[in-house]
Amino acid sequence: MTELDPVIHAQARLRVVAALSALGDGDRIAFPRLQELLAMTAGNLSVHLRKLEDAGYVEISKTHRGRTPVTLIRLSRRGRLAFEEYTEAIRTLLDPSQLDSTVSKEQS
Amino acid sequence: MGPDDDLPPSDAATALRLIDDQRAETVRRLQPDARLLYWPWGVAWLVGFGLFFLRFSPGGRVLVALPDWLPLTALFALLITAGAIQAVASARAYGQVTGDSAVRGRWYGCAWALGQVSVYAALGRVSEHLPHDLAGLLWSAAAVGLTGALHMAGGAIWLDRDLFRLGVWISVINVVGAIAGPGWHALVISVAGGVGILVAGTIARLRQRGRP
Repeated sequence: MTELDPVIHAQARLRVVAALSALGDGDRIAFPRLQELLAMTAGNLSVHLRKLEDAGYVEISKTHRGRTPVTLIRLSRRGRLAFEEYTEAIRTLLDPSQLDSTVSKEQS
Repeated sequence: MGPDDDLPPSDAATALRLIDDQRAETVRRLQPDARLLYWPWGVAWLVGFGLFFLRFSPGGRVLVALPDWLPLTALFALLITAGAIQAVASARAYGQVTGDSAVRGRWYGCAWALGQVSVYAALGRVSEHLPHDLAGLLWSAAAVGLTGALHMAGGAIWLDRDLFRLGVWISVINVVGAIAGPGWHALVISVAGGVGILVAGTIARLRQRGRP
């Protein structure tokens, strides 16, 4: 059995990554909106985002809207892949019979 | 950091439920309520074109003796209200998300605005030389035709089958109404168009709620 990715396999970061994965490809969300969606404190969200950024799973960019600084966040390609692999691993744990269909889907 | 949110989910089923719930919640909060996007337009067409039919009825008759200015004023007021409701609902849902979706939405909005300006500019030059009833038909058939085409384009941009179907429906009834002639066109657009938009909004809302 493959080991679950320890960066994602934590409740708070799993929620962060799941929320970001629901954004459209090429979209970024502003920090306060993400915070509101997840109902986390700013400090708490910052800590988890830093861990995800260190792993290369999220991209954080700082820009300006008018004079207001804005922090934008999105899942990186690597983060999306890690999330998909994690979800697949979880599904396989729940229903090992899915393993065969997953492998054959990847080969096709 | 919270005391326990760095811990892994208790088991695989909990993890999967957490993923599904968070994704569904995110999608729900980042999308405007479909009813606010469709229904105000449906009401505007139903009432606005309905008043047109009653005042400027087929064969030059007047079914209800409304003031001349009322149908057009009511239609424009309702359309502007629908646009405002859509703008506010969209801004609240899509605000603070930037990127490809925002660019798509902005350019699509430009297509609506510029498309209408260019069509109406040409119509304004022509319609003054037409009898009143034909000028009315030309304006409404061109406006509704453009609306149908842009709905189909929207369906193509967002791969939204229902939006595309609504565009097809609007285009088809516009042809039917144009063939039927002045007066009848307003009736067809009011009933088939207005109700069509209301139904499309209901279907879109049901799809939003049914999403896992």
